[in-house]
Amino acid sequence: MPGDSSILRMRGIVKRYGAVTALQGVDFTLERGEVMALIGENGAGKSTLVKILAGLERPDAGTIEIDGRRVRLRTPNQSLHAGVAYVTQELSIISALSVAENICLGGHTSPIWTTAQLAARVKPYLSLVGLDDIDPAMPAGSLSVAQRQLVEIARLLSRNARILILDEPTAALSDAEIEKVMAVVRTLASEGRSIIYVTHRLGEVFEIAHRVTIFRNGVSFPPVDVERLDIDELIEHLLGRRLDQMFPERGISIGEPVLALEDVMASGLSEPVSLQLRAGEILGLAGQLGSGANAVVRAVAGVPPRERGSILLRGKSLDPRDMREAIRMGIAYCSDDRKRDGIFGVRKLIENLSAPAIGRITVGGLLSGRRERDLAGRLAEFFEIKVNRLGSQAGNLSGGNQQKVALGKWLGIEPSILLVEEPTRGVDVGARAEIYRHLRTLANEGLAILFASSDNQEVLGLADTVATFFRGRLVRVAPAADITPEALLRDVTHPESAESEALT
Amino acid sequence: MISRILRAGILPDDSMSDTDAQALFKRRRNMVVILLAILLVIVAGAITTPSFLTVENLLIVIRAASITGILALGMSYITISGNLFALSGEELAILSACIFAFLMRAEYGLFTSLVATLLFAAACGAIQGGIISYGADPIITTLAFGGLFRGIASLVTNNKNILLGTTAAEWLGTARPLGIPTQSWAFIFLTAFAWFVLQKTRFGRQLLLTGANREAARATGLRVGQASLVALILFAVCCGLAGIFAAAQFGLAVANLFTGLNIDVVAAVLVGGISLRGGQGSPIQAALGAIFIALLQNFMLLHSFTTGERMLVVGCLVALATLGFHMLQRRRA
Repeated sequence: MPGDSSILRMRGIVKRYGAVTALQGVDFTLERGEVMALIGENGAGKSTLVKILAGLERPDAGTIEIDGRRVRLRTPNQSLHAGVAYVTQELSIISALSVAENICLGGHTSPIWTTAQLAARVKPYLSLVGLDDIDPAMPAGSLSVAQRQLVEIARLLSRNARILILDEPTAALSDAEIEKVMAVVRTLASEGRSIIYVTHRLGEVFEIAHRVTIFRNGVSFPPVDVERLDIDELIEHLLGRRLDQMFPERGISIGEPVLALEDVMASGLSEPVSLQLRAGEILGLAGQLGSGANAVVRAVAGVPPRERGSILLRGKSLDPRDMREAIRMGIAYCSDDRKRDGIFGVRKLIENLSAPAIGRITVGGLLSGRRERDLAGRLAEFFEIKVNRLGSQAGNLSGGNQQKVALGKWLGIEPSILLVEEPTRGVDVGARAEIYRHLRTLANEGLAILFASSDNQEVLGLADTVATFFRGRLVRVAPAADITPEALLRDVTHPESAESEALT
Repeated sequence: MISRILRAGILPDDSMSDTDAQALFKRRRNMVVILLAILLVIVAGAITTPSFLTVENLLIVIRAASITGILALGMSYITISGNLFALSGEELAILSACIFAFLMRAEYGLFTSLVATLLFAAACGAIQGGIISYGADPIITTLAFGGLFRGIASLVTNNKNILLGTTAAEWLGTARPLGIPTQSWAFIFLTAFAWFVLQKTRFGRQLLLTGANREAARATGLRVGQASLVALILFAVCCGLAGIFAAAQFGLAVANLFTGLNIDVVAAVLVGGISLRGGQGSPIQAALGAIFIALLQNFMLLHSFTTGERMLVVGCLVALATLGFHMLQRRRA
């Protein structure tokens, strides 16, 4: 029976994306005036759940009750109407408008207003989020990221939001700014509003949340009172999945260094990074969103080019002007957004696979159908893509097959270095294991692989050497065999405690 | 090494799964729709106007379709490369016609005049393509150049008719080798050429992939800028050719030689069913679209529609085709 204080009850929520089940019958409750943290690894289902609540995704099964009444949250507007507000990482603040205009945006204001009227209107909401000192008439573009976040919250409060979803609100903030956001969250909760706080940072859970719901593999566990939990327990809850079969045997033959980063600074890093990659080695960069792990991979690919420091490819400075030149130097780069720049969705699989090596299938400016089928067939076979699908549109394939295409096409250029961000994002478990196996085979053939991942298990299972990142700095580099899952999780979420432990 | 992996392996067979058959059906569906539309206009014309299905009238239609069609083929490179449309086609055709007329009158001879005009058109395309491949918006860039071309044509001709002055070009404009107008031979040849370029050449593949996903093309090391540049040059050469044919046919060039050609060409590409998102579609669709538009225009002429009425109909057609395209996209999403 719903308790008096339950504002939200979700029962049996199921969400499938094609063959992948993101949520397999999740139950979730939220009390009035509480801060509920949602934690879980990437792909565990927490963001799918909040998207359903925000009206951005439709569940395939399950019921949602707010204040004991069943509601349909089919569109963001319906959700907002029901009192649910979603603050995303990509803020929807419009820089050219004033703070007051941003807050009133989309609300029911009269068609004609004066600056003074608007300012008076938004003052109470601004003070709710601790921005009393801000002039409502100033352009929102001149605010800091944290202030924008607070303005966004104020906007949602002005629409009478009673359930606030904050999706990694502190990912891009400095420590002082985090304090400010935290204080606002506490005030809002004490006023009786309920907050769902999605985070990767375990420290924040203890700092702000009353209870925590842990997600793992599309299943949620009953909420736990934070007071009755310590960080080791939390880590144990978070891991738990055993996938010994998932990862292949480690490398056998690590060779000469091929790539060296010396004091490299790039956007997304707060401290210079030095790293080394050897032939046949898989180097995994572990870190959460904004940790700098991806920034290192991008700096090597040159998108965008590094700001300082040197990157040496077999002793020679590596400064490709564009991807064409990088590819000529034997560097393959697979970004974390395959829809954006990894695959040609409307073109055939065979054309996707042959694209980087288009020179190899061309004779005198004309495409050789035989060479193309030959090349694509071999790549497909190696990556276990069914060859009779070569004529299919790449966009019609499953996420796993698309990722195999996004990775596999690079073999055509016979790279010496493969750079990968999030090698298995949005990939089902079966295809994951296959991808890990293929990457290992390639490393055994002498390919040097550098990958960044926010999936700790993936880093530990796949990499020979692990480098951990937290808020733009390299925490440590160590052989994967020497790092426990707990230590890795600390490094990427909470390195201060790990460092103090290392000192003792 | 990795080359070892590439050497092993088996060759694919050509069998298809169900989803592929559906995708193929969808591709063919656009072709079937446009063929049915053409048939519909022919039947409607034959029933309502006795003069519609005469050899003389059909040759007129074919010739008109060829001018629109040559431009539509050129446009299909641009649309498929993901650059939507070029809106300077009509104007460049006019300018080319004027230059061709001047050269002919100055007695440079047919061959020299032809080649010089086409080179000029190609240069005009290269300038526009250069700007677009640099990242400028294709619609606005070509709109601006369209105004520029029309302005130059108007200035150099002083808005008077420029007579070609010789009969050397008459053959080009009015001859019918094997009973088919020269324009239509060019149309047929260019259709085959465009199909070949897109299906069989490295350049065509880069154009298709760039249109399909520009970011992915860049990340894969393809020559993204080159695709846009060459697409514009090919389009410009088609414009030049259309202008030359028109000047040769009428024996003169004038700054208002064509009106409403741009929208006819856009309509041809749209009703031909070429995806506005780029990376899909075939020049054959553009060619069929042009034939449909020419038939429709002819049908309306025979029913004494005024210029205004005809523009209204084509305008509605473009609006409806665009709406239909976006509705299909939304349903698929």
